[in-house]
Amino acid sequence: MSTQWLAIQSFQHSQDLLAAINTLAIHIKSKLAGVLDGEPPEAVENARGIIAAFLNDLKTFVEEASEAKPVIGADTRLRQLAKSFLAAKGRRFHSALFRKTLPKPEELLDAKSAEERRTLLESLADLRTLIEEHVQADELRILGDF
Amino acid sequence: MKEILRHSNLDLLRELEQLGVIIRPLSVPAELEVYHRWVLGKCEALRKAVVRNLGRLELLRDDILPEILSSTQAVTREFHQFNRWLVSPVLRARESDRLSLKILQWLHFSHPRTRNIPAALSDGDFASWPVPPLPTIYFMPCSAQHGLLYLPIFFHEFGHVLYACHRDEMDQLVRELQEQIGELLLPSVLRDDLQAKREEEKRSIIVETWYEWTQELFCDAAGYTIGGPCFAYAFSMYLCMRGRSQFYVKEKELHRREHPVTWLRVRLLVDRARRQGKEEQARELELHWSTIADAMHVTEDYHGFYEPELRPVVQQTIADMLTEASPVGLENESSESSGIVDVSSPVPLLNEAWTRFRAAPQHYPEWERSAVASLLR
Repeated sequence: MSTQWLAIQSFQHSQDLLAAINTLAIHIKSKLAGVLDGEPPEAVENARGIIAAFLNDLKTFVEEASEAKPVIGADTRLRQLAKSFLAAKGRRFHSALFRKTLPKPEELLDAKSAEERRTLLESLADLRTLIEEHVQADELRILGDF
Repeated sequence: MKEILRHSNLDLLRELEQLGVIIRPLSVPAELEVYHRWVLGKCEALRKAVVRNLGRLELLRDDILPEILSSTQAVTREFHQFNRWLVSPVLRARESDRLSLKILQWLHFSHPRTRNIPAALSDGDFASWPVPPLPTIYFMPCSAQHGLLYLPIFFHEFGHVLYACHRDEMDQLVRELQEQIGELLLPSVLRDDLQAKREEEKRSIIVETWYEWTQELFCDAAGYTIGGPCFAYAFSMYLCMRGRSQFYVKEKELHRREHPVTWLRVRLLVDRARRQGKEEQARELELHWSTIADAMHVTEDYHGFYEPELRPVVQQTIADMLTEASPVGLENESSESSGIVDVSSPVPLLNEAWTRFRAAPQHYPEWERSAVASLLR
């Protein structure tokens, strides 16, 4: 009996998150450029919801990890992601999302002004890199190496 | 960059169209038709994702190239996963799959949250891909697919689907258990030295490891709840001759191990059987595993990852998780059982299979052939 369930659930979660990040980023870039992105509004809202839910979950796990407490209520892949997030804060990534205190997701994602939108885009780009790195381990487990 | 992305997406489009040509005309057993339709739908969804990437490239906007690159890579990963794993249950489909698929169909239909989730079968060691509402792929060794004896192991795998369907509530229960384990493992006197720091780190690893262990133990309990004795026998027979690692694992290897040591899982199954008044089966299983352990001179030791004082809180959490997930069979464990017999249930047949196999293994294959034929009629 193998633990493929861990890899496949993590893989799917990361893939959904990446799709949401890309949808929202294109939408915001289009807003900044003053052009239409062609995405239905509900797809953009859905993307925002996926990212907000993820950031809310992550907040709890990152807090536990930063206090050197065990990360509980999360599987090994999510724990790893929380620890990678913490390790990247202020070192590899410097966007608002990765500064000292994790911002409230709704505040970060509800960018109205051009400046807020640019701040959000930076955060989304860093988050995308983190998730893309994270999904590699699951991909390796599911698909193997070539 | 735009040209690289355009070519990559056009290549994906070509591959997807090729795959569609292969899959569309396939004839599959009736039990796999819903999954076959899902695969065709997924192929179309991937094609649309690629077309969207190509459409975005035609906008000639350099500012969104990072997103198009990321989307192309994501759809490429998903296509490889689809091509390698999700298509094969359809491509490899054969008449003999009907036996496993019939059991899986009954299993999924037995629960309101899984009723509309298609199930499919693939070759491999027992495993599952539980990502509801996506179809669940169940893996099973080829030889086992033709008989009744190992089908109850699907009941464990179905536990993972139930967990995923009730994730928020289950995670909360596991979280509470992890907190309790953390407290129970605390020493009576807290020191402030290097040794104490090491012990704290170990406690942290143990507490984290229990997330995966609890889910596996829940799945074992779900398996036993659904199948009863046939699950315990299948589980035990499948794992008992796999060597020392089923009985003992070195401390370092236990760190963040995703499965509890099998001997511990058997101990907790035995405890469950005993609580349900199945003393004879409990004693038999216990003796079976301790006889093998004695023959290998293995002493039971989980290096602090499990201590007998954890058993009440672990079993209470598993009981709460079963109540939350409510697998079929749970009602029979309660004294307030409705007494309604599910005539479509394959469980009595699977239990009979184990009774017959254990009584006269030499005559079993003949009986099994006829029982399988009747089931599929």
